[in-house]
Amino acid sequence: MNTVPWLTIMLLVPAVGAVVVGFLPRRRATLAKQLTLAITLVVLVLAVLATVAYEPKRAGFQFAQHHSWISTFGISYSVGADGISLVLMLLAAVLLPVVVLSSWDEVDGPEPGGDGLAAPAGGGRGGATPAGPAGGVGAGGGVATGGVATGGVATGGVEGGGGGTAVLVAAPPAPPAVGLGEPVPARGTEARGQRSVPAFFALLLALETGMIGVFAATDVFLFYVFFEAMLIPMYFLIGSYGPVKEQAQRSYAAVKFLVYSLLGGLLMLAAVIGLYVVSAQHLAHGTFDFATLRQLEITPGVQKLLFLGFFVAFAIKAPLFPFHTWLPDAGAQAPTGAAVLLVGVLDKVGTFGLIRYCIPLFPDAADYFAPMVLALAVIGIFYGALLAIGQRDMKRLVSYTSLAHFGFIALGTFAFTSQAGTGAVLYMVNHGLSTGLLFLVVGFLVARRGTRDVAAYGGLAKITPILAGVFLIAGLSSLALPGTNSFVSEFLVLVGTFTVNKALAIVATTGIVLAAIYILYLYQRTMTGPVTHEENRALLDLSVREKIVVAPMVALIIGLGVYPKPIIDIIRPSVTATFADIGKHDPAPTHPAAAQPGGHS
Amino acid sequence: MLSNYVPILVLLVIATLFAVGSVVAGMLVGPRRFNRAKIDAYECGIEPSPAPAGPQRFPVKYYNTAMLFIVFDIEIIFLFPWALAFDSLAVFGLGAMALFMATIFVAYAYEWRRGGLEWD
Amino acid sequence: MIVADNHLLLAETQKITPPSIEYSSLSPLLIVFAVALVGVLVDAFATRSTRRVIQPILAGAGFVGALVAVAVLHGRHAVLASGAVAIDAPTLFMQGTILVFALLSVLLVAERRLDSSGGAIVASAAVTPGSKGSTAARTSEDVQTEAYPLMVFSVTGMMLFVASNNLLVMFVALEILSLPLYLLAGLARRRRLLSQEAAMKYFLLGAFSSAFFIYGVAFAYGFAGSVEMGKVADAVGTTGKNDIYLYLAVALIGVGLFFKIGAAPFHSWTPDVYQGSPTPVTAFMAAGTKVAAFGALLRVFYVAFGGLRWDWRPVLWGVAILTMVVGAVLALTQRDIKRMLAYSAIAHAGFLLVGVAASNTDGLRGSMFYLVTYGFTTIAAFAVISLVRTGDGEASDLSQWRGLGRTSPLLAGTFSFLLLALAGIPLTSGFTGKFAVFQAAIEGDATPLVIVALVCSAIAAFFYVRVIVLMFFSEPLTEGPVVVTRPTLTFATAGIGAAATLVLGVAPQPLLDLANTAASSGFVR
Repeated sequence: MNTVPWLTIMLLVPAVGAVVVGFLPRRRATLAKQLTLAITLVVLVLAVLATVAYEPKRAGFQFAQHHSWISTFGISYSVGADGISLVLMLLAAVLLPVVVLSSWDEVDGPEPGGDGLAAPAGGGRGGATPAGPAGGVGAGGGVATGGVATGGVATGGVEGGGGGTAVLVAAPPAPPAVGLGEPVPARGTEARGQRSVPAFFALLLALETGMIGVFAATDVFLFYVFFEAMLIPMYFLIGSYGPVKEQAQRSYAAVKFLVYSLLGGLLMLAAVIGLYVVSAQHLAHGTFDFATLRQLEITPGVQKLLFLGFFVAFAIKAPLFPFHTWLPDAGAQAPTGAAVLLVGVLDKVGTFGLIRYCIPLFPDAADYFAPMVLALAVIGIFYGALLAIGQRDMKRLVSYTSLAHFGFIALGTFAFTSQAGTGAVLYMVNHGLSTGLLFLVVGFLVARRGTRDVAAYGGLAKITPILAGVFLIAGLSSLALPGTNSFVSEFLVLVGTFTVNKALAIVATTGIVLAAIYILYLYQRTMTGPVTHEENRALLDLSVREKIVVAPMVALIIGLGVYPKPIIDIIRPSVTATFADIGKHDPAPTHPAAAQPGGHS
Repeated sequence: MLSNYVPILVLLVIATLFAVGSVVAGMLVGPRRFNRAKIDAYECGIEPSPAPAGPQRFPVKYYNTAMLFIVFDIEIIFLFPWALAFDSLAVFGLGAMALFMATIFVAYAYEWRRGGLEWD
Repeated sequence: MIVADNHLLLAETQKITPPSIEYSSLSPLLIVFAVALVGVLVDAFATRSTRRVIQPILAGAGFVGALVAVAVLHGRHAVLASGAVAIDAPTLFMQGTILVFALLSVLLVAERRLDSSGGAIVASAAVTPGSKGSTAARTSEDVQTEAYPLMVFSVTGMMLFVASNNLLVMFVALEILSLPLYLLAGLARRRRLLSQEAAMKYFLLGAFSSAFFIYGVAFAYGFAGSVEMGKVADAVGTTGKNDIYLYLAVALIGVGLFFKIGAAPFHSWTPDVYQGSPTPVTAFMAAGTKVAAFGALLRVFYVAFGGLRWDWRPVLWGVAILTMVVGAVLALTQRDIKRMLAYSAIAHAGFLLVGVAASNTDGLRGSMFYLVTYGFTTIAAFAVISLVRTGDGEASDLSQWRGLGRTSPLLAGTFSFLLLALAGIPLTSGFTGKFAVFQAAIEGDATPLVIVALVCSAIAAFFYVRVIVLMFFSEPLTEGPVVVTRPTLTFATAGIGAAATLVLGVAPQPLLDLANTAASSGFVR
């Protein structure tokens, strides 16, 4: 079974899909959606099959593939999965179809013509520039771009012999000097500003490729390539498909996201190259192979520098406390689906990187910097929670809660016990589900009401009971109520931390109280009480499509809360091996039974 | 080693002294009589062409001639030493000079065909 | 004076042994030079309309022929023409690169479908801007076809520049490559004043820097008693000479070369010249001149002054850091897309200097690889720029690029890809190139330099991304620019450049192997 190159197939399917969907003409929006959904479902099936085929007991990477890529620098295409990366790939594969379905109408829903920025300009243009004959034919609504393009080419043919300029794209009549005597075949004014639906879904697929690649890579260079390449689709998703009316804010958020990530990425690049040079000094030929690099005995001084290079990149990505300021902006401005992926999976790359690369590659440095990381983690838990309580913008609020959650994950990772480590990895998965669902529900609300302001809601439980119910489940999972998935992971993290550092664990535990405050306070302000705004009475409850979107998430949240064993069984051996590899063993009085507290409920 | 450069240094000093000295001497000793011709730009001893004020064409005849002059000047510079070392350079020299003169001729041909030789 | 000197000389020696010249090994240079001469003759004798057709074909054929000659010569490792010219693997690698870029640039120059009449080259350069004839000249079908022979001459100079084994020959090559470029810079069809200003500035500053260079050569001669690189290198190894001359030589020759590559603080011509020149010429300059100047720089610093490594390295560090910072930071404030790319070119010169500062074989390999990747990307970028036009020529102001991603996604997508390559995002050639030089620099104990380079990369990424923001995240303008759709040649160039950018990002191994072979066989002395 393990001879099947699952990971390569899982990479190729969405990659090819992204290209195919990306080249669909704009008017084939429905086809693009269906195709994307099908592809993501295929990936999901592949991921499930791979998980079934995975043998948790076996050490090392499974489904490994190795092909030389740039031999001059010892770079290879190497993929492989251990328990940690496998569950995260699975998470990505689960979230993608959900996101596709939830974004079904989001892109083509609010036309730019409907908002204050583009409409007057478009109208004015329409009046001033009567579309040319060819343009008129094609411009039956904003979608018929292909037809217009044909018109443009035809006109070019007519002008062919002379020195005239054929114009494909929309254009006001250019000054005569260009030689455009005749009216330009202009595309319909609606089309000019419209956002391409196939492009949106192609970006999602490209993002999926990047996410799977980043978890699957076992070559540090390949990891870096996916790490950076993943940014670009997310950047366009935020910048191009964020809230239509908030053009300045979403560009700002997109650029901030990209520049932060690039800066971190470049520091990591320095460390990656440094690692290569160190390996070249130790071995005959430099390499990027993770398994080989792991065996190197790097001097502590060099380790510290390289660790910092990686750590800052991951801390920005995750994000941890002082590097987090891009997250609320990106979270608020990203379209709902992208926000789910951003917080659900993309940010996990940071925490994944900490446990996969920072700790095994630089054990001495990890030891040295552990107190600093733990301090940042605890600060993050409180800082994120306090800021979340103060937010009026719902998406920002959810983003800040994530900051607190990432604090827990970092705490579990750097406690260096297998329990806390397992909890941290499980937390990554659970956070993806719970915060993902929270973002989805908030996205539904915002799509209905058109604002992210908490004050615009109130008493919705009466009008949209199902939506309110799902909201509550997501919220309770987010605050780690026993019986939901997050409880298991949070408990594991705290117990694992407690065995090595009691004070820190106790302090972190109080963070849970704050979590209860921000979630319940949000729920109270939006869902309970009397209906404060009359226009809210017209809001619709979840549609069938939306119910299909949330159903698997709710099922997983409850299911993993009640019976997390299968996932833990996959994660635990890998985490234990990671820590054992660097000489970290659990302190003596650890009772394994404590690991499954959720099992009985 | 450095002493090889002393003559150059001396030459430099003499040149500076001569340049500065003659200007200063001229200022001190010479008579001062200004007229229009003295203030005008010097242009090969003939009436200067009117300075272009504003966007209009100005004659480039002199530049053309000057270019042609340089073309042949360069040629002469190489022809003289070649003549002196004609024997020792033999066939190689002949070939090289033929190539060189052909190259020079290309420039000449271009100027001639493009009307650079027509004065008006 | 000269004649007299010669006479004296002859009186002393009497006999001159004629040097032997291996014409076959010089064939790439000779082919290109011959084509340039034929081009001049074509311009002299053919009619206007035939000239327009013949010239680009002739130039292109010449470049292809020379490329073939370069390929045939591979593996040659010798000093030719009495020590004047060196043919070795790095030389051939860079000559080939220059020829490929020249070929692509000729496609751009030959493009005649961009405008209502001719391409980017002016109909009659002598017409005063704003005069009665200037409007007619703008729409005239005529073209100043001298542009082609000028380009070919410039390529000759570039090829000799990277091949010269003798500082004096290098100076001659510098002039051969520069003088045609000064003229080409002034040949833009539109915005004549800007173009003329560019030509004038380029000429004045270029002449100034050439003077520095030749002065440095004089000092090198004073130090070593020879202008041949090998002999200078030998002299550097011996003691008892006047080191002051040597340092002056290094500094002054360095100034001349730093000027040509556009390194700070000798960069100030770059933005004006890039902006004012016709865009195809800008592309040619950005790609070709950079290869030539770096080729010469590498040879001078690795061969002639290689023994002085520990003395010039700190200076090179300083120049590299300053160049990267100036390029990246000043680009942030630009409003004109061509000026922005000019500052980006400065920043890239800085990144390349990081590879030079590594001063090891890996540095040579990395720099050569980087030059190829940068050239392809930048030519494609300028090709795309020339496609976005308003009634008044190119829409070079950044604000005119608003919303282009919505109105012409393919063009904006391609341009974004190229910008991301310039920013050094993985899976583009820009990243592989940066990786190659940074790896060499860390290997060569220049880690701090790499850190600065990475920070500058991040700053630089910001202004590349800003253009993408404008194109994709802003609403299109009502009076937006027009994207011209018929120019096959420009499309081809942009396509080839973008494809090379992708291929060299995804599968760089073949070119890396080539660069590796060239670098490890090293410079001939």
